[in-house]
Amino acid sequence: MNAAPALEVEGLCVAAGGRDLVRNACLSLRAGGILVILGESGSGKSLLAHAVMGTLPAELDWRGRIAIGGIDFGALDPKSRRAHWGRAIALLPQEPWASLDPLMRAEDQIAEVHALVGRRTWREARALAGRALGTLGLGSAGGRYPFQLSGGMAQRVAVAVALAGGARLLVADEPTKGLDAECRDEVAELLLSQARAGAALIVITHDIAFARKLGGEMAVMLDAEIVEQGAIAGLLAAPRHAYTKRLLAADPAGWAPAKPVAAANPVVEAANLAVERGGRRLFEGLSVAVCPGEIVAATGCSGCGKTSLGNVLLGLLAPQSGIVRRVSGADAHRFQKLYQDPVSAFASGSPLGVALDDVCRRHGLPLDAPSRILARLRIHPDLLLRRPDQVSGGELQRVALARVLLVDPAFLFADEPTSRLDPIIQQEVMDLLREVVAERRLAMLLVTHDAALAAGMTAKAVRVDARLDAGGTLAAL
Amino acid sequence: MGGVGRALADRLLQALFVALLVGVLCFFLAEALPGDQAFRIAAARYGEDMVSGIAADAVRAELGLDRPAWLRLADWLLNIARIDLGVSLVSGESVFEELVHQLGSTIGLSLAALALSALVGPPLGVFFALRAGKLPDAIGTAAAAALRALPSFAVGIALMLVFASWLAVVPAAGYDQPQSWLLPTTTLALGLAATSSIVSRQATLAVLQSSQIAFARTKGLGEFDVVRRHAVRNAAAPVVAYLGVQLVYLVEGVVVVESLFAWPGIGHALVHAVIARDIPMLQGTALAMGLLFVLLNAAVDFACRAIDPRVRHA
Repeated sequence: MNAAPALEVEGLCVAAGGRDLVRNACLSLRAGGILVILGESGSGKSLLAHAVMGTLPAELDWRGRIAIGGIDFGALDPKSRRAHWGRAIALLPQEPWASLDPLMRAEDQIAEVHALVGRRTWREARALAGRALGTLGLGSAGGRYPFQLSGGMAQRVAVAVALAGGARLLVADEPTKGLDAECRDEVAELLLSQARAGAALIVITHDIAFARKLGGEMAVMLDAEIVEQGAIAGLLAAPRHAYTKRLLAADPAGWAPAKPVAAANPVVEAANLAVERGGRRLFEGLSVAVCPGEIVAATGCSGCGKTSLGNVLLGLLAPQSGIVRRVSGADAHRFQKLYQDPVSAFASGSPLGVALDDVCRRHGLPLDAPSRILARLRIHPDLLLRRPDQVSGGELQRVALARVLLVDPAFLFADEPTSRLDPIIQQEVMDLLREVVAERRLAMLLVTHDAALAAGMTAKAVRVDARLDAGGTLAAL
Repeated sequence: MGGVGRALADRLLQALFVALLVGVLCFFLAEALPGDQAFRIAAARYGEDMVSGIAADAVRAELGLDRPAWLRLADWLLNIARIDLGVSLVSGESVFEELVHQLGSTIGLSLAALALSALVGPPLGVFFALRAGKLPDAIGTAAAAALRALPSFAVGIALMLVFASWLAVVPAAGYDQPQSWLLPTTTLALGLAATSSIVSRQATLAVLQSSQIAFARTKGLGEFDVVRRHAVRNAAAPVVAYLGVQLVYLVEGVVVVESLFAWPGIGHALVHAVIARDIPMLQGTALAMGLLFVLLNAAVDFACRAIDPRVRHA
């Protein structure tokens, strides 16, 4: 056995044009150990992982010592470093379903690593791939193409692919990005089983619940620096750095449960709904009513029809059966939607102010109508001169909310409005939504896959039941 | 495979629609041409010098050209339902017989040009992409753009001047010897290869920057294996799909190149039918080219299905 640590990083710095993106990072990891790097987008946590892997973009400078299993990896030239990829260190990419070759069957993608990296015969390679799939509970999925796998299944295939070359150090870059809570626990279990088998893991995430599941060591990053480091359990129980404290406070699991709202005449009400998409029944017998000043959460795993329910209430989608009643006297445009991905909800080429002006013109509002709403949502007017790609995700979602509020909505369907935001920003946006709902007596349907977040926002939730096959296949529609 | 049957049925329906549209359109376009149709036909039959008003009147009476247009079109439509394309107004031969003869030469030329361009274009595109931004890429891409910008008659005449007239290594025109294939095939293939190399370069560049390729690299594959096993196939999907669009160039190129090199194919016959105002021949040749286009497009569809499982299962 090699006594050298699986990974040792000393004084690692990454810089672009003289600006530090990672400053003086020091890490150490033994075989079978887990190191979680927590931090918000732009804190440098992904760059740290890519520096270790040797996959930093060429325009970034870096320095420091990186040793993998005793090899002075950082001192090697890029070509020799690449020779260790798959064999000593492997990367589990973000969004594995987009990283697998869409034209190759799952089993072949694993087998080719055994054959071409492990220098085995194709027959042996295929047998090894089949065995790996069996171990991961994917025995029957080897013949499928990536688009036929669910997110969780694609993740398992990607882990098998990444580790097929015999690497003992796995770098996982936001492995739960875009996955719902059930899948998230599955990924944690999968990574833990790799650690038990002796692999050392670096896991980049901003998901505190996920970090808690993994256990092991944790490093918290803020503005290019590791501000706190220690065992996860201890660190989460007694955070010392102010940022870690804020991060933990922002975790929906710690939010105070919401109080029920007094019932009133519903703004929108649906009874005994059944909805199908693409010939598949999503749910049936579902009833829901949303009253003024009330938030109703629609929860359930991805693909179960939460978004379809919202679209039915808005009148964008016709249910197969059931009745939808909207309050009389409210125009159709007062039933509005806040989208999951604010970036794709704005025209990419024009300043944000244009988007607000267009709404004012369309509805005959004075051009200064937005100013009061902007002030209420704490949006600086200068922000409106920028394009959607020049502001942060949290700012953009607030502008999207301002645009919706311009038309004085009676009902708002918020479709996972914070699933792409960091925990602290998520909390800011959710607090704002809660205040707006109370002030304007707005009826809101909040779609989320995060049960803790739902509980923190409202006491009234509707579970949109999914009826999926045993493998959880969503993609094979 | 219900998907394949459905795709075939779609294409068959499309072929019927193309046949109807092309036939009717050709008829009205020929009718709309200025000049006396009988006079043009007589000129084609007896030569420009021999034509007189009497000859033209004789042609008119013989072919029933004084009947109303709609009646003649209805005749053609009824006949085509019996797969009878009528007879050439000039030669008196069956249009179908002539087409069968010419179609062979056209398909031969088209396939030869497609094969040659497939051998040259995509490999060059991949080569340029792997050297993106460097000198060979810059020169190659510029040359391909210039070549694509030239009309095929200009390329054909240039090749003819250099290889047939100046170097005298190949015949300038004709169909009688194996070397005759070289110039027309090359003329058509150069234009096709120019476009497909540019498309292949773009597709390869996009694939090389994708997260699939990044993953193929970090899992340990060498660059050669990454390109061979992942990049080429993923880049092939858009390239083959683009081939369908390129076929328009092939069809228009066939008309020009066949006329230029006196290649006895459909395109050549089409041009002569237009000059002679030989409507049945015009309809027949245009119809054959339209159907050829549908057929090639169907072949492209099936190639896409073979490459990409997502299309197969969609």
